[in-house]
Amino acid sequence: MWLPFLGLLLGLAFGLLTDIQIPVVYESYLSIAVLAALDTIFGGIRANLQQVYDDKVFLTGFFFNIALAAGLAFLGVHLGVDLYLAAIFAFGVRLFQNIAVIRRILITKWEERHIKKGENTV
Amino acid sequence: MNKRIVTRITIVSFIVGLMIAIQYNTIQKPTERDTRDIWEIRQELSEEKKRHSELLSEIGTLKSIVDEYENDDKDSQAQILKSTVHDLKVRAGIEAVSGPGVIMSIQPAMELVALGLEIEPISPDLLIRLVNEIYRYNGLYIEIDGQRLVHTSAIRDINGKTTINGFAIDESNVEIRVITESFEKAEKLYSYLYASTFHDDFYLDNLSLNINKALSNITIKEYDGKLSNTFLVENNKGE
Repeated sequence: MWLPFLGLLLGLAFGLLTDIQIPVVYESYLSIAVLAALDTIFGGIRANLQQVYDDKVFLTGFFFNIALAAGLAFLGVHLGVDLYLAAIFAFGVRLFQNIAVIRRILITKWEERHIKKGENTV
Repeated sequence: MNKRIVTRITIVSFIVGLMIAIQYNTIQKPTERDTRDIWEIRQELSEEKKRHSELLSEIGTLKSIVDEYENDDKDSQAQILKSTVHDLKVRAGIEAVSGPGVIMSIQPAMELVALGLEIEPISPDLLIRLVNEIYRYNGLYIEIDGQRLVHTSAIRDINGKTTINGFAIDESNVEIRVITESFEKAEKLYSYLYASTFHDDFYLDNLSLNINKALSNITIKEYDGKLSNTFLVENNKGE
């Protein structure tokens, strides 16, 4: 479980140390991409915990979601409607749902283990 | 968790971390936009060019000195050494120096004296400003009322008297001599001072500043005090 966190930290350190910057115009695209990527990660973790994880779904979801979100933001800029809000809303809701599911699964597992331990000691 | 899944998630979380860091960088340290126009850029360029040529000429002089040291026989090496020492002494202010420069004088403004106004001593602040401006416009060596300015010279008020190097200067009639690198620079300095507001500044104190035209040769006395330094020690090894 700690390896993804290590990856996250490595990515953060790499980005901060190399001081890469993007033009301010593309800021909103990146923020949406970050959200999409987070959604994919938590979706992947949830799927894994529910044992329905599929490599293809995970990877295509990652790239497709990012592309879709950026495309929506791009369209929004050109139409003058803040369409990226739709993406933020959708991803936000999914993120919360995914995290809630993960939490429930983990709690259930923990409780099961607890009960087993109790049975063993008795 | 399956090893492959963990690897995938790790790679994706690395990308997420990278994206978050880039976003953070962009928001925290936005690249400053260059808002200079052509004229400002040209001015900066000319400043840099000036520095460039100054550095080049300095390198040239130092190189020629090095060449002289390297090529010549022992006698002339001593000569060069002597001239270097002389040069350093002139720069430090313990040797008299002559060259092109400007002479100016500060006197009480006659019309104000006729009105019965009291003659005020020259204020140290004004004098310091004048000296700074002279240095800014390529003045090399300055002498005020017979006092050579060196790196430790202080212009200040002691018991109501304006002093330089600890000596009180004349209250009402002071001559300032400035030596520059070349006659051209002396003329430039003259023009600058002539056009500056120093006339008015001195007039406020009931004094008049007379700036004479640039001369091709004036002499400045040496500093007559003792220059002490605490950070250089004589090395007697060679003797």
